[in-house]
Amino acid sequence: MTQANNIQNAFSPATLKLWLQKIPYAVFLGMKAELHKTDFLFTLPKDERFIGNPSLPALHGGVVGAFMEQAAALQLIVSMDEPRLPKIINFSLDYLRPARLHDTYAKCVLNRQGRFITNITVTAWQEQLDQPNAIARAHFFTPQPT
Amino acid sequence: MPVLSSSQKYNLVTIMNNHIPHGKLLGIEVDSVDGEELTLKLPYQAALVGDSDSGTLHGGALTVLLDQTLGIATVCSDTTEPCFSPTLDLRVDHLGVAPAGMDVFACAKVYKSTRKILFVEGFAYCESKDKPIARATGSWVRVGDVDLSWLVPGDQGGVLT
Repeated sequence: MTQANNIQNAFSPATLKLWLQKIPYAVFLGMKAELHKTDFLFTLPKDERFIGNPSLPALHGGVVGAFMEQAAALQLIVSMDEPRLPKIINFSLDYLRPARLHDTYAKCVLNRQGRFITNITVTAWQEQLDQPNAIARAHFFTPQPT
Repeated sequence: MPVLSSSQKYNLVTIMNNHIPHGKLLGIEVDSVDGEELTLKLPYQAALVGDSDSGTLHGGALTVLLDQTLGIATVCSDTTEPCFSPTLDLRVDHLGVAPAGMDVFACAKVYKSTRKILFVEGFAYCESKDKPIARATGSWVRVGDVDLSWLVPGDQGGVLT
């Protein structure tokens, strides 16, 4: 069975909502997650609270990074047989274009899911997927069931 | 010879910090400017928690604080004129966690400036600087035509006097 099938089987809007309740910052960001075919699409809704540069205006780069990190964590959670909150080890973020005051989207790729450590890349965009605003790579530590 | 005096830097970084709406929303404020090193403070708040069971701060909230601190620290360099610099990239190593109820400080300084790029390093900590909870490195692009020198007081005085 492919990884995509696993994710699809594990996912339900109700369980994701439960996870979001456990993560107050994800609620603060107003993050949404939906399943599109076999991929998760994460959304950071347009919100003036997240403006970092009022002149452009542009979203705070840190918020875009935080949204991408949380998207990666949620992608990882729903891919686990026994879902747990993963711990971030490090996060590396390349800013390609300023994020304007629009909805921002993110999709993730689990590059390697080891027993303890997972490598995930995240792409964030607004207008077009092929013109990303930022790309990121994260390592997470996944505590094992005891 | 430093480009700006300590009090000029303090006033400049305060203006810049207060010009960032999301930073103001989170209550991020200037703690100190010591030489080329800038320190900002993020007060603890329940909305920024990453795990409701433990109350520890979300890694993303640290990214926001570090991005802002390293970015503003670019104007505290003594080897280059202060100027507007967009972020090229940022990397955060999570060395520990910010415990429940604790304010977080982030300090940063430019450790190398070239004609076009500013390389910046910073740390986040709660109790003491000796116990960092995160280390950040990043690079900022110097945009020469957006100069901040008008903020520096001249003979007639200016915004920073």
